[in-house]
Amino acid sequence: MTVFLASLGFGLVTAAVLAIASVGFTLQFGVTDVLNLAYGAIMIAGAFVAYVVNQAGASVWIGLAAAVAVCSFGSVLVNSGVYTPFQRRGTSPITMVIVSLGMTLIIEFGVAAVAGGTSVSYSMSQGATFHAGGLILTAVQLVIIALSLVVMAGVHALLRYTKLGKAMRATAANKTLARNCGIRTGRVITITWALTGGLCGLAGVVFAMDSGSFSPTSTDIFLVLILAAVFLGGPGQAYGAMLGAAVIGIATEVSAAFIPADYKYVVAFVVLLLMLGVRPTGLLGARA
Amino acid sequence: MKSTTKPMQLVAIGLAAALVVGLAACASKSSGGTAPSGSTLTIADVAPFSGPDAALGPTYLASCYGATTAINNAGGVLGHKLTCKSVDTRGDPADAVPAVNQMFATTSSLALVIGCTSDEAASVVPIINSHKMAMFCMTGQSEFDHVHFPYFYRLVPPDLEESYAMVAIAEEMHYSRIALAFGNDIGSQTFIQPAIAALKKAGITLTTNQTLDLSATTFRTEAEAIIQSHPDAIMTEALGSTDPTLFSEIKQLNGGKMIPIIGTSAAISPPFFKAAAAAVGASEFASDFRADNLVTESSGPAYQAFSKALLAEQGKVPGATGNFTTYLSAPGGVHLYDGINLAALAMVMSKSTSPSVYGPDIIKIGDGVPGATVVYSFAQGAAALKAGKAIRYEGPGGATSFDSYHDSTGIFQVDTYSPSGNVNVVGNLTAAQLRALSG
Amino acid sequence: MYYVINLLIYAAVDAIACLGLSQQFGVAGVTNFGFIIFQAAGGYTAAILAMPPDSANGGFQSYIGGWGLPFPVPWIGAAVAGGLIALPFTFLVGKRLRGDFAAVGLLVTAVLLNLLVTNYVPLFNGDAGLSLIPQPLQGVLNPQASGYQWAFTGAALAVGLLVYLFVRRITESPFGRTLRAMRDNDVVADSLGKNLLSLRTGMLVLGGAIAGLSGGILVSYITTWSPAAWGYAETVVLFAAVIIGGAGNHRGALLGAVLVPVGFEEVTRFIPTSNNLPPNLIPSLEWVAIGLLIVVFLWFRPQGVLPERKRVIALPPGDGNGVPGAALVSVRERPPPAGRPAADGAAETVLESVGLVREFGGVRAVDGVSLQVKRGTLTGLIGPNGAGKSTLLATLAGTLPASAGKVIYRGQDITGVPAFRRARLGLVRTFQLASEFKRLTVMENLLAPVPHNRGDSLRGAIAGKRYWSRDEAAAIARAQVILRRFGLESVANSYAGDLSGGQRRLVEIMRALMTEPSMLLLDEPMAGVHPNLARRIGNELVALCNEGMTILMVEHELAIMDEFCDPVIVMAEGAVLAEGTMQQLRGRSEVVEAYLVG
Repeated sequence: MTVFLASLGFGLVTAAVLAIASVGFTLQFGVTDVLNLAYGAIMIAGAFVAYVVNQAGASVWIGLAAAVAVCSFGSVLVNSGVYTPFQRRGTSPITMVIVSLGMTLIIEFGVAAVAGGTSVSYSMSQGATFHAGGLILTAVQLVIIALSLVVMAGVHALLRYTKLGKAMRATAANKTLARNCGIRTGRVITITWALTGGLCGLAGVVFAMDSGSFSPTSTDIFLVLILAAVFLGGPGQAYGAMLGAAVIGIATEVSAAFIPADYKYVVAFVVLLLMLGVRPTGLLGARA
Repeated sequence: MKSTTKPMQLVAIGLAAALVVGLAACASKSSGGTAPSGSTLTIADVAPFSGPDAALGPTYLASCYGATTAINNAGGVLGHKLTCKSVDTRGDPADAVPAVNQMFATTSSLALVIGCTSDEAASVVPIINSHKMAMFCMTGQSEFDHVHFPYFYRLVPPDLEESYAMVAIAEEMHYSRIALAFGNDIGSQTFIQPAIAALKKAGITLTTNQTLDLSATTFRTEAEAIIQSHPDAIMTEALGSTDPTLFSEIKQLNGGKMIPIIGTSAAISPPFFKAAAAAVGASEFASDFRADNLVTESSGPAYQAFSKALLAEQGKVPGATGNFTTYLSAPGGVHLYDGINLAALAMVMSKSTSPSVYGPDIIKIGDGVPGATVVYSFAQGAAALKAGKAIRYEGPGGATSFDSYHDSTGIFQVDTYSPSGNVNVVGNLTAAQLRALSG
Repeated sequence: MYYVINLLIYAAVDAIACLGLSQQFGVAGVTNFGFIIFQAAGGYTAAILAMPPDSANGGFQSYIGGWGLPFPVPWIGAAVAGGLIALPFTFLVGKRLRGDFAAVGLLVTAVLLNLLVTNYVPLFNGDAGLSLIPQPLQGVLNPQASGYQWAFTGAALAVGLLVYLFVRRITESPFGRTLRAMRDNDVVADSLGKNLLSLRTGMLVLGGAIAGLSGGILVSYITTWSPAAWGYAETVVLFAAVIIGGAGNHRGALLGAVLVPVGFEEVTRFIPTSNNLPPNLIPSLEWVAIGLLIVVFLWFRPQGVLPERKRVIALPPGDGNGVPGAALVSVRERPPPAGRPAADGAAETVLESVGLVREFGGVRAVDGVSLQVKRGTLTGLIGPNGAGKSTLLATLAGTLPASAGKVIYRGQDITGVPAFRRARLGLVRTFQLASEFKRLTVMENLLAPVPHNRGDSLRGAIAGKRYWSRDEAAAIARAQVILRRFGLESVANSYAGDLSGGQRRLVEIMRALMTEPSMLLLDEPMAGVHPNLARRIGNELVALCNEGMTILMVEHELAIMDEFCDPVIVMAEGAVLAEGTMQQLRGRSEVVEAYLVG
């Protein structure tokens, strides 16, 4: 029982990291209709940016800020420089996936070429450990959860209450119509990628903080978790991504308490395949 | 849209194919046989230099550099100098096969192969053997305990034995409850079943058996499960970043305290110590860590020669990072150095650089004949052979005793780390201890 | 020497795999990002078929199977396994799932299966994989002898050649044309009677079998097989090979196989390992290079080095009259609808909708439409923008499922019948937006939907040209007549995508006619067409109706409605407003209002 409770707590942390990542991913899809499979690679690039800053002597939290900035800028570059030109040409969605796979290779192994293949970790203390009702969490993990909640609240406020948020929702729903209504969709898209790129960098750094150590290929499996969360909630649905992240994050960790631990990600895989086969619009998406 | 015509397409394919094949054929040189006099002999390090096990290739390269430099300083072998070459198998059998084939095609005067880890041994050993090239391999796979490859030599213990050694350590430490935490890759999977059987035989309680997915980045639930099972110690091998991550998470969840660890000989490597120390703190890690390892000398004439030769290469070996002195105890460092020396001495003794000729002499020199002079380095051995004596080589890896499959396993010792990453030997395990645990 | 043999065998194996992918992806447009699974399945199957039971060799491996079967059973078994394992994945390639979603699903499956095989040791010995796999005939021949090695190489290359001839035969048949049509525009292919699910399943199985065969051959050569050899990244390499070589051109697949998995990977082996470079640098840069190649090629030369060939079909000379079986349109004689008396004076209802509703996202594009279309009429359908005309057409044709209500065709309730089956029953639609098969010629566009071509099935394709050449010739003759009639014979062998807008509309109509329909649903067939040509089309349509065809046509040009259509149905806001001749409608105020307001 205690292992179960503890794993519930770990699941919360995984869900928190996953939520930040998934919301970014799903918004990118919503607004541009591209499954940006390079998302995981950009995450780990952000993690390494923070690492470099950390190694240079600064606190890893400053590194986090640097990562957010770099990934934000980088994501805008990737979309404006690669995805948008291809889309303007009328490239089919499948070919866009192949393009994004190509970008994944370039970014992930670009990082590996520079950083080397071995694992590294941040010089940071995890803080005190807190026990509460069977949950065991360190201070850093609590910060991550809090950060995730702040981000969720922020995204919610953005989408619901700001003009930009409404413009984003409109663009995601129907780009042509939005443009006809006077919304500058090009700018909305760029801003969306800047914001979600920042989320991507943030997710990458907290992901690395939560892992004992990381290497350029660490996010390969994590991308599958992101996809599972996104498709569970519904691609393009921000609230769906949050829901999906909670479910997937907790389910994978809790499952490790019951089945052999090396199979814990199988849960995420199965959920993803089920959703694709049965209800590709997700739990919160409209029925097709 | 312009479309190329049929003949043009065929020409394009043909050209491309011809180019690739021609490249190979051009580079093709004959190998094996006796090397022309005065030429340099090559020792090839066939191992992963990329991928998850990328640390292994450079480790073996370090011992190659050390051994060959010492040999060259002592005059070389039959007038030839020795040099080392790395052959990257990329850690998977489908890539290892062409790598080895390319090696044979492009390496003139190949005299010996070292390396061949569990990642690729199964696919490359038959190839190297069919080329009649001698090899000293680092794989503990049980396959090579029973299958006959005349050109295959192994100085490291089979994985089975290591499992027993780990349990023997647990016995010596009077641990009554052990948790297992092994990775899901080739090297680590083979330990689990023998370990479980041996624990049972030793009357030690197995508290939990966690298999760690090496591609995951956190293992908190596994760590918590281990802690909740209240073991006295954890037996583990999970290479890469997995073990260090697991250790740090155990420490976190266990109120800041580490649980004692029993590792395998793979843990005796500079990158591993570096990562583990970064994860839980050097002194904390060192204070409760033991690993089994084949007995390697830490003093005496063999060790002196070895240490001198190896440390001279510090900073010169590409890809070798971390505390260089750890290579003095690392299995790949010690045993391949011995293997190279054995091969070199065998070449001198048989007056040939062809493995089909010098191969049997490896056994003779390794096991020794009655009345043989014991030598501790190549220089000594070469001198003794010149004086017409029969020799027996005893290197830093200790005395060898080859069985009919050319496997030699020595005695095990128990290693620990100092907080600065130096390896210390704290005890020995006898063959009897291991036999008592085997099925 | 052995290195050359190694390269040739790897080239053969990669070529076979690339041919399978080229057939699946390049020709049929099935994007299978789990492709490597099928090669892996073949490899493992060949292994467990050839190996002795797992207690042999000291029992250090644990695996299922182990029946020690002789060559060539392992290779055959590998192909079979590769094909069989495709079946569970068909749910991912059905019509309902977006192409990129399906691709992601398959990619994820590759990762999942690799994980499962790695962790579940008793299956295939986990991460260590299988080793000491017996090579073909190693009981009687010496596998180390150079004669054996060359013979093996020859066998691998021979199999490669056979696979090449096989996929080429399939692709050059009417069936291949259908596949390419599906690739170019699957929704349209569906509406013209192609069963997408069955086609895609067939291609998954076929490509899987070819991939499995490649795995079997590879495994027999390197004698080991483990999860490290088939990560999902290998699929990306094969895709890169096919894209760079030329998707849709099997020679391109061969070229790609030689350039990428063989050439590229082997060339990097020759780069000398310098002392100053970190050891991981070259392999990392290799991957970066492959990623760059993919993106660069897709941007600058998406058709690859060897693009897909244009199929030029020679048109027989002559004026087309008196050519047997070359009637302009054969309105297929169909058995009279069940339970209804034969023509009783009043024209029968061919198509009827009862309370048809189509709802999406809370909006009712079609809001309870009940109408009847009588046989032999050219019925018009007009209405302001957003009235739901196209949606109604789509729901009647089956392209979109109805949310409520019924569709009755020739007395039969077809509400639940999928679009392609409706097309086969004779109810065929055209599309508002350009929907020609762009990478097929005009002639091929017309030939693709022909319903009774013996070559339009996998079996027929394999049977070869002699089997289907007669049906093909008949179809070509018919197509020629139609082309002449509409004046497009001169562009018969141009790519449909290269034509002008008006010409493309004609191609659509002609193509629909080739399906031998009983009823046509035309969605703005005259849009963008020169008024003279529009009138000619109108006259042709009227002539068709006089021969027994029924047509429901959406159009904006009220003049055309005036001239040709009777009756005309008016829609507004998803419902039928009125029905009658144009003259009658003009007099009704609500119609006028709807047009002014809506």
